[in-house]
Amino acid sequence: MKILSIGWKDIQIFVRDRGGMITSFLLPMLFIVVFSYAFSGIASTDEVITLPVVNLDGGEVSAALIEGVNNVAGVETEMYDEADARARIEGEQLQYALFIPAGFSDGVAAGESMTLVLLSGPNADGANVEAMRTVVDGVSKDLSLQTQLLAGFRQMGQMMQASEAEGVFTSDLAVAQAQSQFERAKTAPLVGIEQKTPDAILQEREEFSAVGLSVPGATVLFVFVMASTTAMSLYSEKKTGTFRRLLAAPLAKAELLGGKMLPGFVIILVQIAVIFAASILLLPLIGLDRLYLGNDLLGLVLLSMLVALCSTSLGLLIAAIARTESQINGISVVAMWVMGAVSGAFVPTFFLGDFLGTIGKITPQYWAVSAYTAFFVRGQTLADVGTQMAILAGFTLVFFAIGLWRFKFE
Amino acid sequence: MSEPILMANDLTKSFGETQAVKGISLQVARGEVFGLLGPNGAGKTTTISMLTGLLEPTSGSITVDGLDVKRHTNEVKAKMGLVPQELALYPTLSARQNLLFFGRIYGLKGKELHQRVDEVLEMIGLTERANDPIQDYSGGMKRRVNIGAGLLHKPEILFLDEPTVGVDPQSRNAIFESVEALNRNGMSVIYTTHYMEEAQRLCHRVAIVDTGELIALDTPTALIRSLGGGIIVIGLAEGYPDEIVDEVAQLPAVKAATRSDGQLKVETLRLQEALIGVLDITNGQDIRITSLELLEPNLESVFLHLTGKKLRE
Repeated sequence: MKILSIGWKDIQIFVRDRGGMITSFLLPMLFIVVFSYAFSGIASTDEVITLPVVNLDGGEVSAALIEGVNNVAGVETEMYDEADARARIEGEQLQYALFIPAGFSDGVAAGESMTLVLLSGPNADGANVEAMRTVVDGVSKDLSLQTQLLAGFRQMGQMMQASEAEGVFTSDLAVAQAQSQFERAKTAPLVGIEQKTPDAILQEREEFSAVGLSVPGATVLFVFVMASTTAMSLYSEKKTGTFRRLLAAPLAKAELLGGKMLPGFVIILVQIAVIFAASILLLPLIGLDRLYLGNDLLGLVLLSMLVALCSTSLGLLIAAIARTESQINGISVVAMWVMGAVSGAFVPTFFLGDFLGTIGKITPQYWAVSAYTAFFVRGQTLADVGTQMAILAGFTLVFFAIGLWRFKFE
Repeated sequence: MSEPILMANDLTKSFGETQAVKGISLQVARGEVFGLLGPNGAGKTTTISMLTGLLEPTSGSITVDGLDVKRHTNEVKAKMGLVPQELALYPTLSARQNLLFFGRIYGLKGKELHQRVDEVLEMIGLTERANDPIQDYSGGMKRRVNIGAGLLHKPEILFLDEPTVGVDPQSRNAIFESVEALNRNGMSVIYTTHYMEEAQRLCHRVAIVDTGELIALDTPTALIRSLGGGIIVIGLAEGYPDEIVDEVAQLPAVKAATRSDGQLKVETLRLQEALIGVLDITNGQDIRITSLELLEPNLESVFLHLTGKKLRE
C-alpha cells in the first residue's frame, strides 16, 4: 500500500508539471506527424523507377527488349542519346544508363553472343543498380530464348526444304506457328503459375506505411526519455530532503524504491496507449495513414510493459550513477538521444548504413523498435519477436541490478 | 524514575578517514526537551541521523523505548517523528496533500487520516491555506508544514533539527510555542540548534557538542552557573610578569585566573567587582591593556569557555 501511496504522490506531481506532460504526450505526436510526412515518399507503393536507355541499335530485338522492360511493373524506360547520357552520368544527374550496342538485333538474330552495358556513375546506389541489372537480365534472357527457338525452327524448315520434301510444312509456317505459340504462352500458358501470398505478408504490403515506420521510433524514443524523468524524480527527492524524511519513516527501502519506480512505469504505459490511440484516431484527420496495430494485441501489450520496465530500470541506473542534476542531463542526452539516433528510433536503420546500424544493436531502443516494427509492419506475433523480447529483458535486468547495487540511500 | 525514552551509548560515525562523531553517550528522559547545542559542523545532524535510524553508526548502540534501533527498526521509527533541517516537502502539492501523503506513509488511513490532517493543520494554523501549493507559502508557513508532517502519527519522541533556520522572528516564536505545547502534552523532544537562546528557553537539559564530541551535558542553569559570575578575557602587552596571574587569582571576587596566548582569562564569582580588582592591579603595575572582553554567564560563554570558539562564527 505504501508503494502505491508513493507512486500516486509522484503521479500527482508529474501531472502538475506542464513541461513534462508536453514532452511525454504532445512531442511524440509532433515527431510522428513530421516523420510520417517525411517518409511518405519512401513507403509509397505507386513509385516508378526510371531506367535511362541509350539505343545505339534501333533494331527489332532492341525494341522488344525495351518493350519488355517497360512491361515490368514499377519500371519505365527513358531514351537518351549517347553523349547526353554519358555527360549526365559523369555530372551525377543520372545514376546509371543501359547502353544497347549497335548491331545488337542482328547479332542476337544471328545467334551471336551480345553484351548489354549498364553504365553506372559515382553516385549510383548499389541496390538500385543491382535491381536494374536483374530486371534487364530477366527480360533479355526471355528474349534470347525466344529468339533462339525461332532461329531453331527456321533452321529446321530450311533443312526440310533442302531435302526437297514437299509439303505443307515450310520454315515460314513453322516460324509463324512458333511465334503464335509464344504469343499464346504469354496470354494462356500451358503451365501457369499462380502466385499466392500469405495473408500476413499481403497485410504487410498493405500496411507498409510511413506511419508504420515512424510510430515505433517515436514511441521508443520518448518512452526512453521518461528514464530521465525517473532519474530526476529520485534525485529531486534526495535534494529536497523528502528522501531522508521517508527513510526516517517505518518504510522498507524496497518499498521506497518500488514506489519511486512505479509511477514511471505507469506513466509510460499511458504514454504508449495515448500515442497509439492518437495514431489510429487522429492521424487520418490530417491525411496520414491510420496506424495498424498488427495481429497480436496481447503480444503488443506485453512488449509495451517490458519496454516500460526497461526504461524505468534505466532511470534507476542513471539516478544511481549521477551525482548532480547536470550529470543526469548529460547521461540522459547520451542514453536517450544518441542511443535513440543509432537505434533506428529517429529514422529506419536502413538509412544508417552498416556501421551505425550495427552499433545500434547494443542499445535497448534498437530491439524495442525492431519488435514494434515486427508487429506494425510485418504483422508478426509475440512468437516472432522472442529474440527482441529476450534481449530487452536482459537489458532490463542489467540496468536494474547495477542501479540497485550502486544506489545510495544515505 | 521511569526508564529513559532514548539511550545512546558510545556512538561513533566515520566517513572514510574522517570521524564525524566520536563516542557520544546520552539519555533522554520521558517528557524531556533535550537540546543538542553546537556550531555548524559539530556533528549534531550526524548524531540525529544515527538516532533516527537514517545512518548506521560505525559503533555504539541506540535504544528507543527499550527497543534496539537496529533490530526493531520499523517499530522504533513508528515511535519517532523527524522534522529535518531542510524543508522536506513537495512544493507543487498543497499542504493537505503533503500531510495526507506522509500520514499514509506512517500507516494512517481513511477517516482517521483525514481527521488527523485536519487537526495538524489547525495546530499549525494553516487550515485556511491548506489547499494552496506549498511553493506559494512564506518561509515561516513552510516551516510550520515541515513540523506538522512530523507530528501526524503522534510520535512519542520528536526530533527537531535546527527548525528555525532562516525563519522570521514571528514564526520562530510560533515554533517555540508549538514545541512548548507539545512538551506540555507529554511529548519528548530532541532539539538541535546553534542558537544559545533557543536552548536556554526550551531545553530541560543541553548537551554541548563540538567536533563530534560531547563536551558538556547538564541543565542550562547548571552549565551557566559553572561560569560563576562570568569571564573576563583581558589582553595584556607582552612581557607582563607571571606574578600578575597569581595576584588576580587571589582577588575575592575571582574564582580562577589563567594565562594563555598573551591573554589573561579570569573566571569570576562577581563580574564587576572582579573587573575593578583586575584593573587596579594592571594600573598599579603600569601594564598596558590591549583588549578586554566580558563574557556574561550564558551558554554562548560556556561554549567559548569550553572550546575557545564561538557558537556562530
